[in-house]
Amino acid sequence: MVSEERRAEILKNLSEGVVEYQEDQVKEYSNLALEEGLDAYDAIMNGLAAGMEIVGDLYDRQEYFVPEILMCADALYAGLDILKPHLKIDTGSGMKGQVVIGTVQGDVHDIGKNLIKMMFDVGGFTVHDLGRDVPLEKFAEEQLRTDSEIVALSAMMTTTMMGMKKVIAMIKEKNPDVAIMLGGAPVTKDVANLFGADGYAESAGNAVQEAIKMIGQLRKLKETGA
Amino acid sequence: MATMTPKERVQKLLRREPVDTMPVFSGMGMVTVQAIEKMGIPFASVHGSAENLAKSASYSADIFGFDSVIVPYDMCTIPEAMGRGCSTYADAEGILYPTVPTKWENVDAVDINPDWATKARMPVVEDALKMLVSEGKYAVGGWVLGPFTLGGQVIELDLLLKGIKKEADKVAAFMEKMTKVVINVAKRYQDLGVDYMTIREMGSGTDLLSPRMWKQLIQPYLQQIFAELKSPKILHICGGTDLIVGLMNECGADALSFDQKNNLVETRKKIGNDMLLLGNFDPYGTLCQKEASEVPAIIEGCINDGVDAVWPGCDIWPDVKPENVKAWVRTVREAGKKPTPAVGRI
Repeated sequence: MVSEERRAEILKNLSEGVVEYQEDQVKEYSNLALEEGLDAYDAIMNGLAAGMEIVGDLYDRQEYFVPEILMCADALYAGLDILKPHLKIDTGSGMKGQVVIGTVQGDVHDIGKNLIKMMFDVGGFTVHDLGRDVPLEKFAEEQLRTDSEIVALSAMMTTTMMGMKKVIAMIKEKNPDVAIMLGGAPVTKDVANLFGADGYAESAGNAVQEAIKMIGQLRKLKETGA
Repeated sequence: MATMTPKERVQKLLRREPVDTMPVFSGMGMVTVQAIEKMGIPFASVHGSAENLAKSASYSADIFGFDSVIVPYDMCTIPEAMGRGCSTYADAEGILYPTVPTKWENVDAVDINPDWATKARMPVVEDALKMLVSEGKYAVGGWVLGPFTLGGQVIELDLLLKGIKKEADKVAAFMEKMTKVVINVAKRYQDLGVDYMTIREMGSGTDLLSPRMWKQLIQPYLQQIFAELKSPKILHICGGTDLIVGLMNECGADALSFDQKNNLVETRKKIGNDMLLLGNFDPYGTLCQKEASEVPAIIEGCINDGVDAVWPGCDIWPDVKPENVKAWVRTVREAGKKPTPAVGRI
């Protein structure tokens, strides 16, 4: 069993590696975490995700912008790829949900979508990523096929946003309990309400803030044993 | 009081000469479903025919009293001509703009079709512009995406964003390529006689880039472009611009256009009264969602904040409420009789 001091050192290096977008450092300490017996979920949430929370603060303070966030996300994924296969299924670690995610037909921009996807990946969700320019009916079909609890839709342009309304109607008609998240520059709270969605994020940066907040909440839930 | 034609009104405003009243125009798409319905064609059929483009633009102006016409409506004409194809969604319901279906894998793989300037729909757009120019009824606006936004249409945007830090030389070479393309197209449109040219560097606001990165990655190329183009030439950027208005003002454009996220009052203070400022209402919210009775206050707000002409912050969503568009036009005509910071009245 790894000592508390060593655990703190590994977590610090994982977190710093994400913040400084040092993929090699994150890979090295992810491998060390596993070799030295650190729990993979601990390393993900208190190393990688903790680093991403700092990234969120830097974004809030306008020290980091989207390019930095994308590089931090690459570093996070470098660690996640190593650690995730070692998550213990029966320990209650992570969320056990499923999410369908994609950008709507007519929209080929997916930076915001990919950042939100990262949040779900970190949180332990099973992510069904439909990619971009996705025909509207495909979201409803995939939700039904996978029985996912969440559908996350992204549109970067006003010109494609209207498709979201149709998707929401299609999904809610068949399964009103599915939570729908909308994202993208033209999406406002009013639009989300009007379309019948359950949550929204208005930009890639906003998406990552929302994602990081949710990661933070997951970490707190875990800490309090809720 | 003398009454100007739409063309004169726009031309004079952009030369900062006195006008009778503020023109109703834009550098972004202004096509409406009312025009498309009048033509009896699906929206997807508009983009591939010069006649349909020209007619839909003219009909939109006829119906609502705009002073200008703008084509094309989609952002794929140049990427398509470069060899990246185009998805038109011919069978989709409702309004869906064309998109670029595939991108080059990385900056090294970029291989632009040598005859791109005359390929695909490039001649269609040029023919449409010729028709509108020769019609002479309205001011004709041409537009081209800025090099960064155009680049994001042909390679993954995240490659560019991360490349700035990791492969700065390669990104710079790619931006040079895109800049040459933008200059080439904009000059071709200017040679056809368009009345104004808008460079839309849409995706470069501070939602994505820091001001420092904007200065490094965006500004030098925009400066190259504006140095090559004739006046009037306009720079439009969507999203967060408050932190970069000073940098935008150093690019060499005759006018700056912003969307609704810009704090126009502060921008006017920073830029001064010698520059044309255009903007900045939310087109979807104002023309598609609000009640018509709410529109005049929004338009008057833009004027009171210090714009020289009220522009929508982006393309207008074609499925407008007609009464809202009429309220926009009416309010500009009435509230726009007063001089604005950079333009007097006759």
